[in-house]
Amino acid sequence: MAAPLRSRAPRARREPRLAPILAALLVPLLLVLAACGPSSVVPTPPPDATSSTGPATTATPAAATSTPAPTFPLTLTDDEGTAVAVPSKPQRIVSLTPAATETLFAIGAGDRVVAKVEDIAAYPPEAGDLPVVATFEGVDVEQIVALEADLVVAGGLFFTPPDAITQLRGLGIPVIVLYAESVEQALAGIQAIGDAAGASEAAATLVASMRADFDAIAAATAGLDRPVTFYELDATSKIYTVPAGSLYAEMLELAGADPVTTDDSYEISLEELLAADPEVILLGDDADYTTAADVAARPGWGDITAVREGNVIPVEDYVLVTRPGPRLADGLRALVEALHPEALD
Amino acid sequence: MSPGSAILATRAGSAGRSGLARRPVAVAVAGLALLAVALVAGIAAGSVTIPPGDTLGILGRRLLGLDIAPTWAATSETIVIDLRLPRVLTAMVVGGGLAVAGAAFQGILRNPLADPYVLGTASGAALGAAVAVLIPVRALVLEFGLLHGLAFLGALGAVFVVYRLSRVGASSPMTSLLLTGYAVSSLLAAGLAMAMYLSGAGLRQIFSYLLGGFDASSWGRLAVAAPLIALASLGIILRARALNGMLLGEEAASHLGVDVRRERAILLALASLATAAAVAVSGLIGFVGLVAPHVVRLMVGPNARVVLPLAAILGASLMVGADLAARLLGEIPVGVVTAVIGAPFFLALLRRARTGYEL
Repeated sequence: MAAPLRSRAPRARREPRLAPILAALLVPLLLVLAACGPSSVVPTPPPDATSSTGPATTATPAAATSTPAPTFPLTLTDDEGTAVAVPSKPQRIVSLTPAATETLFAIGAGDRVVAKVEDIAAYPPEAGDLPVVATFEGVDVEQIVALEADLVVAGGLFFTPPDAITQLRGLGIPVIVLYAESVEQALAGIQAIGDAAGASEAAATLVASMRADFDAIAAATAGLDRPVTFYELDATSKIYTVPAGSLYAEMLELAGADPVTTDDSYEISLEELLAADPEVILLGDDADYTTAADVAARPGWGDITAVREGNVIPVEDYVLVTRPGPRLADGLRALVEALHPEALD
Repeated sequence: MSPGSAILATRAGSAGRSGLARRPVAVAVAGLALLAVALVAGIAAGSVTIPPGDTLGILGRRLLGLDIAPTWAATSETIVIDLRLPRVLTAMVVGGGLAVAGAAFQGILRNPLADPYVLGTASGAALGAAVAVLIPVRALVLEFGLLHGLAFLGALGAVFVVYRLSRVGASSPMTSLLLTGYAVSSLLAAGLAMAMYLSGAGLRQIFSYLLGGFDASSWGRLAVAAPLIALASLGIILRARALNGMLLGEEAASHLGVDVRRERAILLALASLATAAAVAVSGLIGFVGLVAPHVVRLMVGPNARVVLPLAAILGASLMVGADLAARLLGEIPVGVVTAVIGAPFFLALLRRARTGYEL
């Protein structure tokens, strides 16, 4: 390492500054780019591009109204605040969330669905044969284009990769992005799918019946004791449970529980869990591979009230608890059955 | 590292074999042929089967303006022109740019382990992307989201900070740069880990950015990234003489009339710019920027004038080929493919290089 010797002498001459050089390089380039403008470089999109909405566009507020039925072309605002133009009643719909698949079939638009996302708990059976164009790993945009999709229902909060949404929209395919952080938002999402698919009335009927279901269940659990409940998503290495303010937490509260929640992330420490000392442990997303005996055998868990009193209960149909589709009330019912089995009699 | 030695020109000279002078041309021709094959194959293959005849017809009609009556579905045309073409071209530009930037960093730092990410660009971009995922803004500018914008700024910002910090202190500029780069990268990596911890459902998005890929390519994005990468790479290639001088050592370079400090700063800026634009559009794809320049040097010797353009061609072919393989294997991360293809190829060349090899 003789290098330092050589370089000490000219120390007075400091290294030049990088910022002016970078600026000198970047500014002209950006000016050139700005001058070109994106439109001159991008090939012309297909004729039915979303940008070219007709002059007589009827603006329909998303999901808010159920009557009168919107007419096409229509523009609706999705859960990310994007105004999405749907030029005509969609005939070739691609569903990129399991909930949207269920919803489309429930509102009678199932025969217009041409492809779906992979679904570990596929429902309804009629959707079973649909080609799968998206998995956890990603979305096959080529396939969606080849299927001539004229409406794509995607999941927000990174469920559908944002890049894929950008790409599909860039190709002129209308994409509505939905997610549900509350029961109300789930119902609004169902209505939005109905509006976009040209089945507003069926969606409104479905939403009304779901609302009645929710009200009935909530009424049945209203006066009951609210056990401190730990809803377990996974505890194979770290312990994961539901964040406060999430759809999970709201569902648990509606089911008559006082859920142990995290502030923001899904992770909870064993210390916090022991301090909360839940009276009930519900095995949620890990119900398929975890038993009450497993829970009792975990080091440190034996002193939790729920474990001592044998209140470690697997949730049947845990998939439905946060699937914001037509069976969301069934998810609530599954929670109530685990927590207050007597309430539903 | 042996800072004293550094005479690499001798390596090329030592091989007094006949025909060596013609070798770069042969390598260039072979590289371009490889690139052409990779491009065509990359356009022909994908998850939707389009007959090769249709693919050629679509390309002929849309690119060459030939008067061919379409016998194919309109969707095939969209897939070929708007999905696959921008994808292979993005892979080409990014691969070429990373290879040139890698060669430049290796030369500037006189370190064979240097790659385009060595001075913090990777960790800066990764942190930028991760922070973007935490910010609930979904605006798009020129088809780029906040993630790409912050990744670009993060990459440039990291190099800028590394360079600023390394100007202070007594050790040699190169050593100082490398060590500062390492320190700053570690710090940024801590930030990345924190951001990933906080990201919740966005973790998958961050992860997919870290793995890199070209599946999200579009004309709009290519139109922004390609000029940046191409011009920065061209700028580096035009400064091959300075880079050659630097490889001989600072003193020797000064004797050759190279203003080492100025040239180093310009080359660093250009290489960082190319890298930042590349990682903004495609995420972090390793190995091409490290290996492509070495492979070229093993074949034609260390003269930067030759190495830089050839590295661009090889990097481009390697990346297009790797992306094609990644696609055919079911959209696996392209970085996995670049490493799986690149590492054995590199090792084989290294074993065959009997003359020994030094940067």
